[in-house]
This record gives sequence, C-alpha cells and structure tokens, in this order.
Amino acid sequence: MNKDKLFHIVIYILLFLIAMTMIIPLLNIVALSLTKPEGALEFKGWEIIPKGFSLINYKVILSNVMVLKSIFNSLFITGMGTLINILMTTMAAYALTRPSLIGKRFFMTLLIIVMVFEPGLIPEYLVIKKIGLIDNYWSVILYKAVNVYYLIIIMRFFDEIPKSLIEAAEIDGAGHMRILFKVVLPVAKAAIATIGLFYAVYHWNEYFRASIYLNSQSKWPLQVVLRQFVVLDDTTSMIGVNNLLSYSDIARLNYKALQATTIIIAVIPILLLYPLILKYYTKGTLEGGVKD
Amino acid sequence: MIQSFKRLSKDKILYLMLMPAFVYFIVYHFWPMLGMTLAFQDYRVIGNNVWVGLKYFKILFGSPVFGNVLMNTVIISSMKLIFCFPVPIILALLVSEVRNSLFRKCVQSVIYLPHFLSWVVIAGIWINMLSPNGGIVNHIRNLFGLPSIDFMTSKQHIRWVLVFSEIWRSAGWDSIIYLAAIMRISFSLYEAAYIDGASKFQQMFYITLPELKSTIITVFILNLGYFMNAGFDQVYNFMNDSVISVIDILDTYVYRVGMVNVQYSYATAASFFKGIVGCVLIFITHILSKKLTGKGLW
Repeated sequence: MNKDKLFHIVIYILLFLIAMTMIIPLLNIVALSLTKPEGALEFKGWEIIPKGFSLINYKVILSNVMVLKSIFNSLFITGMGTLINILMTTMAAYALTRPSLIGKRFFMTLLIIVMVFEPGLIPEYLVIKKIGLIDNYWSVILYKAVNVYYLIIIMRFFDEIPKSLIEAAEIDGAGHMRILFKVVLPVAKAAIATIGLFYAVYHWNEYFRASIYLNSQSKWPLQVVLRQFVVLDDTTSMIGVNNLLSYSDIARLNYKALQATTIIIAVIPILLLYPLILKYYTKGTLEGGVKD
Repeated sequence: MIQSFKRLSKDKILYLMLMPAFVYFIVYHFWPMLGMTLAFQDYRVIGNNVWVGLKYFKILFGSPVFGNVLMNTVIISSMKLIFCFPVPIILALLVSEVRNSLFRKCVQSVIYLPHFLSWVVIAGIWINMLSPNGGIVNHIRNLFGLPSIDFMTSKQHIRWVLVFSEIWRSAGWDSIIYLAAIMRISFSLYEAAYIDGASKFQQMFYITLPELKSTIITVFILNLGYFMNAGFDQVYNFMNDSVISVIDILDTYVYRVGMVNVQYSYATAASFFKGIVGCVLIFITHILSKKLTGKGLW
C-alpha cells in the first residue's frame, strides 16, 4: 500500500514540474511586459513577478500605427475567414449528407484527393497571382476556406441528426436553405462551435500566407508584425512615430520588454477564448479523434 | 409534373450550396496541382512556358544543397518520431493516475495551452528562454556549474531545440487521444489485478500500456504518413544564418529557392519530389492502417 502512495506522490510531483515548464515561460513574458523599463535589464528568465509595475510597454506598442492596423487586420481576417469557413463547410456538409444528391461519390473522391495531394507552394502562388489576389485580404481569408477534415466531422454530425426532423420540415414546405439554418444548424450548435474555434485559432495564428501574399505593410496581420519584431529582431520599427513619449523616455525603453509585450498582445485572444476552447475543442477532439 | 420539377429545383439548391466549397477546391487545390507541371517546364514571364522534360530534376539531384536538405528533413523527422512520439503516451499515463479532479483540471489546462500558440509566439518565447544572458535554460545549466550555450546559433544544439520545442508545444495536446483510450479500458481489469496484488505501477505496465497498443500503432503510422513535413512553421521561425545548414528542410528550401530567389521551375521540381514521396508514404500509411487497425485514413 505504501508503495502505491509513493507512486502517486511521484506522479503528482512530475506533473507539477511538467506544468511549470509550460506556464513559467509564459508568465515570465507577461511579467517582463509589465516591468518598468529600468527593471527590465536585470529581469531574468525564471522570474514571474514584474519588477516595478508599468504599462509603458503596452502604451508604446499600442501607439504604434503598424501594430494597431495589424490588430485590426487580424480581427478582420479571423472574423471574416471564420464566418466564411462555417458557411461554406456547413452548406457543403449539408448538401453532401442529403440522400437525394446525385454524384456524392464523385465529390467524396475529390475530397480525398484534396486530403492526400498537397499542391506546391509555387504553383499556388502563381494561381493567386493569376486571379489577381496578390496584396488582397481575400487571398488570406480564403486560404483554407474549407478544411476537409472538419468538413468530414461536420458531415458525421449531420448524418446523426434524426431523419424525421428534416422530413417534417420538408413536409412543411421548407427549402434546403431554410432546413439548414432553422433545423440542422441549431441542432448541431456544439459541433459548429467546435470547428468554428478550430478555424478561428487557425486564422489568428496564420502568418506565412499573409507574409507572401500581402505585400503592403498596412495589410499585415499581427502575427507577421510579431515575427518582424521578435523573430527577425527588427526592433527599430517597434517604437511608433506618433507615440506620446519624450526622447528621454524612448531612450529608456527596453526592447526585450517591448518584444514580450507584442507576444502577449498576440496571445490575448487565444487566452480569452481558452475556456471555450477547453470546453468545445477538447470535447470535439476526444469524440472525433481529430489530430491536427 | 409540377412535383418532379419542384424536386429538381430543390436539388439544384443543393448543388448551389456545394458550389462555394467546390470552387474553392478548384482554385486553391486542383488548379495549383495542375500547375505542378511547371516542374517540367521553363518558366516564362511573358509567353508560354517551354517543356524541358526532366531538366530541373537532374539539376535537383545533382545539387549538393538539395542532398543536404533531404538529409536534414529525414534526420529532423526521425528525431521527432523517436523522441517526441513517446512523450504524450507517458503524459497520458501520468494524468490518468491523478484522482484529485482540481489538480487534474489545472494540469490539463496548462499542458494543452502551448498547442494553441502560433509558432511565431513560441519562437519568441523560446528565444527568450534559451538566451545566453538571463534565459532560464542557461540559468539552470549555470546552477549545475555548466557553461552557458547560445542554443539558437549552435549547430550542435539547434535540432534538439526543434525536438524539445515540439514536445513543449504538442505533447500535452497529443496526450488527449491516449487519455481517451485509457478511459475506455474496463475497470474490472484493474480490479482483478488489484486482487492479485499488483501494485499501481504494475497495473500501468501490464494493463494500461498493452491496452493502448492499437492506439499507439494508429498514431505512429499516421505520423509516418506526414514524415516529409518536418515542420515548416517551426523551422522557418527558428532559422538563422548560423544554423541554416543543419535545419534547412524541403519546405523551407522550396520557399527560399522559389519565393526568395524566384526560381519557380526549380522550386516546383523540389516540391514535386516531396509531394511524390509524401503521397507514397500516405498511401502506405493508409494500407498499413487498414491492415493493422481495420481503419484507414479515408
């Protein structure tokens, strides 16, 4: 019996340490972003309490026109993208689960081809160029407009909706659109929320397509700006032109703290959605066996 | 007559509903797929491309850089398969033993979180963590009397940085699938073992692990299918001039040669090669998975 108790203590300690390795680096970045510029220089990687509280880093970063514009761009791309994702995915899933649809096999084969064959980056870029979407938000919004895996998950959900429910609506004279929006979608709310979150997280985190398709800096999403500031270490553009600081204030600023602040700003939406993510996303993954 | 017309027009709406997704697949998937023929052509800005057969493939296979990139891809993918793969299993075994539901919930919320951060964010956090001045990793090394290392620019260490950051990001999230499998194991098995006097550790080793076998096999062969994708987002964000020779993988190579150096045909040949190998691996995976678990990829 004692052996089992020891076994459990070891497990609790191990898990505690593992969780710490994941949360401390994040808390450290949060604390660094809130630290006074004077304290930032000696701020070490294991500290999680700010050294002298100050919001100056946030003031500087959020007064940067490039950052502000990019936050707006990210919100637009994520919102619009997710809306289109949900509409296109549910409409296609609904059509593909109707028994009367002719050519279902054909469409399903197309889906499998999409799943298996990955088109190369260059041909994709040339197509986007040909249809005139370079430097246009839509090139990024529509990239991954329908994810085949999520489409299949939604189809599985729609298949489980009792046939009698749809038949009853049909007898009442409702068309397919009406049935989808008034009958099917309300029933499948949890599933839609799950893939909606999948899509939203994807859009918010996407930076690569944006960096190749959007040439003008004014169209960049936040992740591209973040990459510029943090990964490529381009700190010169971090301080906005029209921020309200004096030169001596600017000279005091710590670039590492500013980088930390940008990281936190890019993570905030994920943290805000996190309770929902845990609820829907995790459950959806458990049930759907999705791995992405 | 009216009835059948009504039915037809109703189904017409179904096709209209499919249309947006269909058009999307054509534009973003099938059209670029046809564009892969660029690998066999000389790209011309004005006028039609000229067919050149296997010219670019010959250049590709003759290039020492391509050989190096291929090696890097195989090495990094293998390292991830060997070292990242077992971690979620162990993690799931640990979490499943936790009886205190508050502790369990907290641990789970924390270990799933990194999965939802972009690689740009993770690169930012890791660059900070691995920094030779003030980074937590070097601080711990110093505590044990070891010298600081600039991990991000060290050719010897950077691949391990890839492995560990991959574990940090996805081990928690990937453990979900194993946890689900553990929860399905019949409780009576443990009861019987308990009566036989098996310790908790023995139960884990002789019941849980064998019961997980089929899940482990499934996940392993799925990973095998995506072997050629060594992790573009990750490598792209961890790359710098000092380590490019050891972590440049096929995807980053295609990006650099194609998008940066504008050698469209050559880059397309490289991704064509990657695509072919990838497809073969996915088909093998599908067949293996069907044989071993009865469930394929599609």
